Amino acid sequence: MLQLILDGEATHEQKEQFLKHHLDECLPCYKNYHLELKIKELLKTKCCGGQAPSDLVEQIKSKIGAE
Amino acid sequence: MELEEAPKQHYSEEEKQNIFNNEFMPHIHSMYNFGYRLTLDQDDSKDLVQDTYLKAYRFIESFQKGTNAKAWLFRILKNSFINDYRKKSKEPSKVDYQEVETYYNSEEVDRQITPDLRVEALKDMIGDEISNALNALDVDFRTVIILCDLEGFKYDEMAKILDIPIGTVRSRLHRARNLLKEKLSEYAKQMGYKTT
Repeated sequence: MLQLILDGEATHEQKEQFLKHHLDECLPCYKNYHLELKIKELLKTKCCGGQAPSDLVEQIKSKIGAE
Repeated sequence: MELEEAPKQHYSEEEKQNIFNNEFMPHIHSMYNFGYRLTLDQDDSKDLVQDTYLKAYRFIESFQKGTNAKAWLFRILKNSFINDYRKKSKEPSKVDYQEVETYYNSEEVDRQITPDLRVEALKDMIGDEISNALNALDVDFRTVIILCDLEGFKYDEMAKILDIPIGTVRSRLHRARNLLKEKLSEYAKQMGYKTT
């Protein structure tokens, strides 16, 4: 369930139940949820956003032109 | 080459150029990142991405205009990686992950291996720790994290890109995240955090 919520795959009801009720009474889930959320956020900020080299873009465009 | 099972389209030269420039090229940076995370080498990544774009152009009539171009391109890149790149590389023979997954998905194992990593430790990981931890994962596990957490694909899109059932996407992702947490808790330990 935690994974479905994390990845935006849970239904509205599942989300409501988990975030508003379950997390209040289950410490392991509470801890794990915040940990997983933080890791997901870190992955997004630290491992994304690299730019493709501009010569790659040029090479592709010129090869397509030649086809 | 197997791509989406859409009926074959007919495009004029101008339409092809339009699709290529407006629907395919905007994903070049994500594609390069994906290639880099798979091969862990800049030159190999460039070759892989270039190869993928050339294939995409050649098979452009298998692509239905206005549908999910990013998923379509990612699928071609993933297939090229498996078919062309992996053969050339010296990577040891592939383990049967289905078997590994079944084993690791039993709750018993799960409880033992989930490390008690803390959010506070993560806050100090400002360098390359997370990137290194991701790169250290086996490529099949790395791939699901890239697709889900870096690129934001939904489970059904990932299932199509990887040609595996959604249930396998979910279990592989679960396992991948546990492995990533293990790596991160190793770093946390090195940084002086107690993880237990």
